[in-house]
Amino acid sequence: MDLSGLEPPAAPGRPFARGDFLLVELDRFQGPLDLLLHLIRQQDIDIFDIPIATITEQFLTVVDGIAAEELDEAGEFLEMAATLVRIKAQMLLPRGEEEEDEDPRAELVRRLLEYEQIREISGRLALAEAQRARLFGKGYVEPRIREAADDTPLETTWEDVMEVAMGVEMPRAGGRSHRVTTGLVALEEKIQLILDTLEELTRVEFSQLLTPWKDPMHGVMTLLAGLELSRQRAISLRQARLFSELWLLRKDLDAWRGEVGEEMKGMETGLESLPDMSEGEEGP
Amino acid sequence: MKASQIVESVLFASDAPLKAEEIARADESLDEDRVEEAVQELRTLYDESERAFQVMELGEGYQVLTRPEFSSYLERFDTVPRPSRLSGPALETLAIIAYRQPIGRIEVEYIRGVGSAGVIRTLQDRGLIEVLGRGEGLGRPLLYGTTQRFLEHFGFTSLEELPRPDELPVVLRDRSSLEEEEEGSPPDPSQGELGLDQRQENESAPGNGSASGEERAPEEEPAREDHDPGS
Repeated sequence: MDLSGLEPPAAPGRPFARGDFLLVELDRFQGPLDLLLHLIRQQDIDIFDIPIATITEQFLTVVDGIAAEELDEAGEFLEMAATLVRIKAQMLLPRGEEEEDEDPRAELVRRLLEYEQIREISGRLALAEAQRARLFGKGYVEPRIREAADDTPLETTWEDVMEVAMGVEMPRAGGRSHRVTTGLVALEEKIQLILDTLEELTRVEFSQLLTPWKDPMHGVMTLLAGLELSRQRAISLRQARLFSELWLLRKDLDAWRGEVGEEMKGMETGLESLPDMSEGEEGP
Repeated sequence: MKASQIVESVLFASDAPLKAEEIARADESLDEDRVEEAVQELRTLYDESERAFQVMELGEGYQVLTRPEFSSYLERFDTVPRPSRLSGPALETLAIIAYRQPIGRIEVEYIRGVGSAGVIRTLQDRGLIEVLGRGEGLGRPLLYGTTQRFLEHFGFTSLEELPRPDELPVVLRDRSSLEEEEEGSPPDPSQGELGLDQRQENESAPGNGSASGEERAPEEEPAREDHDPGS
């Protein structure tokens, strides 16, 4: 069976692996109709003439992977699978003479079209919501105290997750051995970079600080530098929401210099060796 | 004191949309028409003087909101009230309810193909939908519809602003075919194609987002879901 159409669009060329496909997909699809629509649209199938045998087979392949412990959540998928099998069986039976006998697929097609319509509308609602969110009313919200992770509702969409995932540099496949090199990027250098930058600007985007370099180590060290400076209350870090751009904001640099200049001097020796974990004990 | 100034002061002091009739309570010289005139004057004034804010019409209410081009500046503060975004399933469910209200849970679930009790409860808790009544038939199922806060959340003036079904690339089937196939108990079939007309009659249902009575103290709605800081 040709399953090329089943691959999630974000991972072209990725071999089809049933197990993780399902794990991901059950979350990715909002229900059996969503999955069916995906199968149909992905393969450019005429929705008014669905090759029910092929689609049923593909649908069952996906549903087959549902582990027993997931049955609760998967009930709807199984119900749809049953419907598909029933339709498939009805298609095989000779159709009665009376022409008023409806195509067994008709109701499914209606549901799919209606569901597609609803999805279109929810897309527009999301757009309206985003536009509305750009208008601010009066009010003051207490700076939030972080809730325990368990209490935080996960309010994100697959589009968001996809966007973030695409921004992550994937590790090279293949070589399993890691070459550990030390001391390539010094933390103090990054601290200095941030301080220099904030000398001129009142605030700077985190990504701005990384532009000249490719090596991810620069990102790591710049982040550590930012955290260190913010811990010392030399700068403040701002992020509008999860995964959005991180901003480094200048505080009163001069006052800070006076206060912690001494501490800073003491730190520098420790910091030099920080990337080099072999002598890491004396770090702050 | 000019009427527009009185209206402006009321709008300025409010952090939620106010209906014209509510604003009119500010002074004996005001009535709904005067308030609407005043709002027009304020709009012109704000446009001409290039204010960073505007008078928006949300649902049946008016509220002073910043203009969209300033959002990037405000987003840097976590102390500004910001509405939380709805999840995909929540949007999907809302879309169905908005177009088909009054509608029962079973029908929503049939259209979505998945159980929706949890999403419906969440939407209800957030004041975006409300119970409009009970349907005929087995178990007299609860029927849901959208609220004023739904309109506020999406920045709509009325349900008419939702895209018309014929503007959409796919056509919604008409209700009758659903009722035949529906194993649940469909609600009152007397409503129009979209059930939008029905909404007006239910406007007086409790909890449709507008505080009634004179004592509209600002503390009354401190926990507006739209401004939920927790997400």
